[in-house]
Amino acid sequence: MTAVAAPEKPRTGRVAPTAGLRRPRRFGKALLYLALVAGAVPTLLPFVWLVRSALMQDAQMFTAPPEWIPAPFQWSNFTEALTAQPFWLYFVNTVVIAVISVLGTVLTCSIAAFSFSRLRWRGRNVVFAVLLSGVMLPYAVTLIPTFAMWQQLGALDSIIPLTVPSWFAGAGGGVFNVFLLRQFFLTIPFELDEAAYIDGASPWRVFWTVVMPLSRPAIVVVTIFTFIGTWNDFLGPLLYLTDEDKYTLSLGLASFQSVFITQWGYLMAASAAVIAPIIALFFFLQRYFIEGITLTGIKN
Amino acid sequence: MPALSGQRRMERRWGLLMAVPAILGFVIFTAGPMVASALFSLTDWQIGGTPSYVGFDNYTALVDDELFWKSLSATTYYTLGAVPLALIVAFAVAMLLNQRVRGLSIWRTIFYLPTLVPAIANVVLWIWIFNPDFGLLNSLLRQGGLPTAQWIYDEATAIPSLIIMSTWGFGNTMVIFLAGLQGVPRHLYEAVSIDGGGPWRRFWHVTLPMMTPTIFYNLVVGVVGTFQVFNQAYVMTEGGPNQSTLFYVYYLFRKAFHESEMGYASALAWVLFMVIMVVTFLMFRNARRWVYYEMAGAR
Amino acid sequence: MRRRELFRMGGLAALGAAAAACGGGAGPTPAGAAELQFMYWGSTFERKAVAKMLQAFEKQKPGVRVEALFTPDEYDVKLNALVAGNRTPDVGYVPMAMSFRLAEQGKLVNLHPYIKKYPQLGGYLPDAYLWYGPDKLHGVATANESMLLWYSRAAVTEAGIAPPPADAASAWTWDQLVQNAFKLTVDQSGKHPDEAGFDPKQVRQFGVSCSFTYPAAWYGFLRGNGGDFADEAGTKCLLDSPESIEVFQNLQDLVYKHRVAPGPGQLAATGDEVPGTSILLKTKRVAMVVDGHWSLLDMNESKVDFGIGVLPKYDQPYTTTQVAGASSVFATTKHVEEAVELFAFHIDPRYVDLYAQGLWMPQERKYYEDQAAVDSWTKNAGHPPEFRTAVVDYTRDHGVPAFGNRVKNMTAIASDVLTPALQEIESGKRSAAEVLKEVTPKITEMLQGWHHAQEV
Repeated sequence: MTAVAAPEKPRTGRVAPTAGLRRPRRFGKALLYLALVAGAVPTLLPFVWLVRSALMQDAQMFTAPPEWIPAPFQWSNFTEALTAQPFWLYFVNTVVIAVISVLGTVLTCSIAAFSFSRLRWRGRNVVFAVLLSGVMLPYAVTLIPTFAMWQQLGALDSIIPLTVPSWFAGAGGGVFNVFLLRQFFLTIPFELDEAAYIDGASPWRVFWTVVMPLSRPAIVVVTIFTFIGTWNDFLGPLLYLTDEDKYTLSLGLASFQSVFITQWGYLMAASAAVIAPIIALFFFLQRYFIEGITLTGIKN
Repeated sequence: MPALSGQRRMERRWGLLMAVPAILGFVIFTAGPMVASALFSLTDWQIGGTPSYVGFDNYTALVDDELFWKSLSATTYYTLGAVPLALIVAFAVAMLLNQRVRGLSIWRTIFYLPTLVPAIANVVLWIWIFNPDFGLLNSLLRQGGLPTAQWIYDEATAIPSLIIMSTWGFGNTMVIFLAGLQGVPRHLYEAVSIDGGGPWRRFWHVTLPMMTPTIFYNLVVGVVGTFQVFNQAYVMTEGGPNQSTLFYVYYLFRKAFHESEMGYASALAWVLFMVIMVVTFLMFRNARRWVYYEMAGAR
Repeated sequence: MRRRELFRMGGLAALGAAAAACGGGAGPTPAGAAELQFMYWGSTFERKAVAKMLQAFEKQKPGVRVEALFTPDEYDVKLNALVAGNRTPDVGYVPMAMSFRLAEQGKLVNLHPYIKKYPQLGGYLPDAYLWYGPDKLHGVATANESMLLWYSRAAVTEAGIAPPPADAASAWTWDQLVQNAFKLTVDQSGKHPDEAGFDPKQVRQFGVSCSFTYPAAWYGFLRGNGGDFADEAGTKCLLDSPESIEVFQNLQDLVYKHRVAPGPGQLAATGDEVPGTSILLKTKRVAMVVDGHWSLLDMNESKVDFGIGVLPKYDQPYTTTQVAGASSVFATTKHVEEAVELFAFHIDPRYVDLYAQGLWMPQERKYYEDQAAVDSWTKNAGHPPEFRTAVVDYTRDHGVPAFGNRVKNMTAIASDVLTPALQEIESGKRSAAEVLKEVTPKITEMLQGWHHAQEV
């Protein structure tokens, strides 16, 4: 490895005391928990609402004023909603698209962001501005030309239009990710790069062994956003897929709700089931938001 | 200008190389459709029909379009309310979730949950919250002896109501702040502590300045995204009552897909593009004054 | 132009794989089956029924295969993209206003020449046909639908009133509706709106609800009172006529004067779909609701104790009919004959379960006239006994076709001018007369006439 090793967070069982952050006193701690609880009540509301609706009969869901405890617990909403359509197939289809998109986005967006933040080349900021302009035009007017383009390329009814752009720095909306990573890369001390270059490292090596390991929180953010974005995407699959065997979860969800009939119980149960995996994903990934990854020792 | 040093030459070569995927992506997937829509905006193209060139007629027609102005002002109003509110709430929550507390993972997940709840469930919930008779908000106000409101069912309160509702979607902004907080160098906190500074000083002199790149990002993305706000009008208010929540992109969408007037819709889109472009440009220019980066190379 | 080239190439790409046609359409069918695509929207019920219908079709027509293109939402967006890319399906649903535009653009097959060969096409209700010019027929409304007065039997029994009449001859007058609605409206302490101490902010059960913003809900009243949306030429809006003002003032009075109907938002309902008529009746939030026939499927699914009555009448007991999207054959089809056959098949009650389930009413005239034919879709557990008079006869004899499907430029008129005006009336801030007098000239300015109509 190069001279500048990626700093690691302490792996000992004990949590290193946060230097500088004095342990909050008892009173402060109580205040902290109070704030957390006060904030959690409104933020839990939509989720609790969803879950209680998922377990209710349609009529109970809409009583006025609303009821909170399902009576009876309508567990059959889940079994029936999830068997009304081939949800397992939709799940697999969706996971495939999401995983390909996340890999492509994380890799290519961080490469691009490295170039736009830590390498100096003429025209850099202009190019960046042009890329960014791509997200300023409402999609409604680029949708048809984009569709025509995929059609011309013979890529309709495949996952190509849904995944390939993500391997080009998430073309389109993915530019936000380049921007996000750029902002994070800019906060990493430049002395680290310089030290590596003096040791003869190439920019790729600096990117891979210095910047990337220090940017885990930002990469986690991009991963979460891309995964959720793909998971919930409705319009993309709707436009580009025709074969029902290729349908995704969001298309399956939509068919519980139509102009004339909405099967509320099924819709809510299926919605709850569909978001469960992304809740789990967030729960596991958020632990990478740990202080102290950025090496500061270099200045000592 | 002196000849480039070896280092600069290498940076230039690699810089271009590493930007290639992004540039290619833009050229292949984004530029074409953008140019196409710019061309559409100069025609009277109705989807399915044959377009003919009309010059800037669509743009001049906008000036006399009452709904264009109405939607532009509704959107601006919404943006001015929703973006700062979301930033403040998200920042505060991120600070809170960056403390050492028990069950941190669970707290963080709870605060992120509203972002994950599907729109339809959320809409049904908020329809109840805003219900004038037995809704949550009016019940609370009544208990507090305060006057009640018609919320989304009144022209005057519709947009503020949607702004309140949008604040529940602070999760993504919060997560970015949370990630940003990890990058604040600890030695700076130590320095303040050694000088005898308390938490307030640490926040004011370390956290806030070091977070400016992240704040800047969230501000820009918030403004760019919020100017294109669509969903609430589409699924909840349908632009009503009496066009009070006629958001710009919703109006544009109606023109594009309900009436298939793609020429006119494209003109609408490009005007919004210009507006967002100018606002973003101003934000970037202004950023030099308050955004702190590690090195001059950032600018 | 470049764009056209691009689309032509796109069209070629579409054909490319199959190497099917070389331009003229007279090209040989590829070895094997004729492939058709059928595009539709709908609930899971519709999805099942359509799958079954397509299977039956394939069975009857060996050598034809049909691919279903189920599009649960954003139908306009997808269809517009397909039109732009010249990749439309062979047969499918089309949003009503869009169907006229596509027909004029030559994107839909003129079905008129096929009526001779397929007599079934000639037997629909006159109002079902969609004409884009003389002898130019681009489709029919997918199903017939009419507006009815749905009520909760329990609520009516509790109030001790006679249920809304189930035949047009004995329809309530508007005053009778209001009188009965008084009895059906109850606040949290059990008081009615015509009693002292009634609290309009704490209404447990509203007497009646009728949408302001959904034109089909009030168009029957308007026509029954001798008014109309536009004059015969379709170039002058008539919403400021005294007949029209009376109808809308009456609607507004239900909410603000008589206090028997919910105001905006009070039902926890925006638009017309949340939470839906069946839930409103089942929970008795409302005792009587003006809504379309299609609710029947939902009523049965949710096991509501409901009854069906005819709407209250003004001068004539009219109801709005033909409230539906269009069905058409697309000009891109390479197998016109098969596509036309599929078209007739997909709205044939013999093959589609949705009629017996209560979502659709037939378009073929005989299903309203011939006893055996009527029984074939109404004699089942899903259709209550009063269905024959309250729906079948009522729709056949007292239906006026929804103007939204007949007036040109209606999409823009509705979303840009009409709906906001109706919302203003609904808000109760200004009288119907004030609002309508202001909006009528604006609508007149946008009117471009009625669509063509003729005998088959």
